[in-house]
Amino acid sequence: MSLVATALGHSAGSAVPVPLAAGEGFESPGVTDFWQPLIGEGAWAITRASIVMVLSVVFLAWVMVAVTRRLAVVPGKAQFAAEAGYNLVRNGLGREVIGSPDFLKFLPLLVTLFFLILVNNVFAIIPVIQFPTMSRVGFPAALALVVFVVYHFVAIKKKGLGPYLKSLVPPGLPGWLVPFIFLLELVTYFFTRPVTLALRLFGNMFAGHLLLLLFTLGGEYMLLHSDAPVLQVLSVGSFAGSFVMTAFELLVEVLQAYIFTLLTALYIAGSLADEH
Amino acid sequence: MLATTLLAAAEEGGEDGGFWADAYPIIPHPAELIVGLLAFAVLYWVVAKKVVPAFEKLYQERSEAIEGGIARAEQAQAEAQQAREQYSSQLAEARGEAARIRAEAQSERKAIVEAARTEAAEAAARETERGRAQLAAEVTQARSELSRQVGELAVELASRIVGESLAGSDATTRTVDRFLADLEERAPSGSAGGATSLGKA
Amino acid sequence: MEGNIAILGYGLSAIGPGIGVGLIFAAYINGVARQPEARGLLQPIAFLGFALAEALAIFGLALAFVFR
Repeated sequence: MSLVATALGHSAGSAVPVPLAAGEGFESPGVTDFWQPLIGEGAWAITRASIVMVLSVVFLAWVMVAVTRRLAVVPGKAQFAAEAGYNLVRNGLGREVIGSPDFLKFLPLLVTLFFLILVNNVFAIIPVIQFPTMSRVGFPAALALVVFVVYHFVAIKKKGLGPYLKSLVPPGLPGWLVPFIFLLELVTYFFTRPVTLALRLFGNMFAGHLLLLLFTLGGEYMLLHSDAPVLQVLSVGSFAGSFVMTAFELLVEVLQAYIFTLLTALYIAGSLADEH
Repeated sequence: MLATTLLAAAEEGGEDGGFWADAYPIIPHPAELIVGLLAFAVLYWVVAKKVVPAFEKLYQERSEAIEGGIARAEQAQAEAQQAREQYSSQLAEARGEAARIRAEAQSERKAIVEAARTEAAEAAARETERGRAQLAAEVTQARSELSRQVGELAVELASRIVGESLAGSDATTRTVDRFLADLEERAPSGSAGGATSLGKA
Repeated sequence: MEGNIAILGYGLSAIGPGIGVGLIFAAYINGVARQPEARGLLQPIAFLGFALAEALAIFGLALAFVFR
C-alpha cells in the first residue's frame, strides 16, 4: 500500500492479506481498515479513534474556554460565530423542541453532544487526523447510552416508574391491543431508540468513510498498480469522485451531529410531556 | 455474557490483529466505549461549568441592557414630555401676563387720555372764563368810555345847540354827571336799555 | 463472483425505509410550503418519523454485519 492510502487511514495491516496468487488484485477496503490500535492490543487497546476523541475533547474544551472567557455584551467576530453555533443548539434544538424553561437544564447535554459529534465527524475529513471517530461504534454507543439513561431517568423522576410504563401506551386503545402496543413501545423505548441512535451515527460515518476509501484506494490502485492505460486514465474520475464524496461527507457529518442532538432533545421532550 | 465472550475472544486474538481487527463493526470496543464515556464526561463538565453559564449570563446581561435601554428611553421621553408641559404652561403664563400687561396699559392709556382730556377741557373752560371776564371788563370799560364820550358828544351837541360853550364849566360837568346818573338809574341793566335811554336822551 | 448475501439483505431492507423517509419529508415539505408558520411544529414530528423509518434500514445494516 502506498503513502496516499496510509494517510487516508487505510492501515496497511496484514489482517486480510492481499491475494498474491493472482499477482495483484484490488483489495477493497473493509472493516479491518477501521481497526487501528496504536498502544496495546485487543479489547483494551488505545486505538487511533480513541486518540482522535481525546484530541477533539482537548481542542473543544480549549476553544470553548477561550471563547467564553472573553464574552462581551456587544459581540466581536469570533464571539458572533460562537454565539451562532451555541444558539443553533440552544434555540433551534433546546427551546424549540424541549420548550422553555425546562430546556435550560438539558442545555449542557445538548451542547456537549452536538459539538463533540460535530468536531469528531469533521475531523474525519481534516488531513492528518482524518479518522471518523464515530465509525467505531463504541463512541456513538457511549453517547447513546448517556442519552438513554438521561431520558429514562427524566421520565421516571417526573412521572414515577409505574405511570411512566403506563404512559407508554396511548390512551383510548381497545383492550386486546394494549399488550401488543405496550410490548412494541417497550421495545421502542428500551431497545430501538438507543440502538438506532448509536447505529445511525455509526452507520453514516462508517459507510461514508468506506466510500471515501473506496474512491481513493480505487483511484490509487488504478493509477499505480494496473497495467491497463485505460484504468490509469479513469483513475482521475475516481479521485474526482473522492473529492465530491468528501464534500458530501461534510454535509452528512454536520447533518448527523444535528440529527443526533435533535433526537436526543425529542426523546427528552417526550419524557417531559404529560401525554404519551 | 456477551462482554465476557468478547473479552475471551479478544484474549484469544492472535498476532493477526486478533478478534477486533475482523470483529463485527457493530460490537463496541470496550476501551473505546470507556474513552467515549470519559470524553463525554469531561466535555460535559466543561460545558456545564463554563460555557452554558457564561452564555446564559451574557444573554441575561444583554436582555437587561436592552430592557434598561428601553427604560432609559421611556424615562427620557417622560422627561421630555414633562419639559414640554412645563414649557407650554410657562408659555401660557407668559401669554396671560402679556395680555394682562396690555390690558393694563390700555386702561392706563385710557386714563391718561381721559385725564388729558379733562385737563384740556378745564384749561379751555378756564381760558373761556378768562376771556369772558376780560370781555366783560372790556365791555364795562367800553361802556364807561362810551358813556363819557356820549356825554361829551351830548354836551358838545348841546353847547352847539345852545350856542354857548359850556365846556369846562363846573356847572356843565355837574349837569352831565347828573344826567348820566339819571341815565344809569333809568336803565339799570343791559346795553339795550342804555341805548334806549341814550336814544331818548 | 464473490461476496456476501447479507449485503443484498441490507439493500433490500433499505428499500422500504428509503421510500418511507422520502414520503415523510415530502409530507413535511408540503406542510411547510402550505403553512410556513407550522414549521416549528412539523419539524420534530418529521424527524421523529424519519428516525423511526430509518431504524429499519439501520437494523438491516446491523444484521448485514452480523450474518456475514
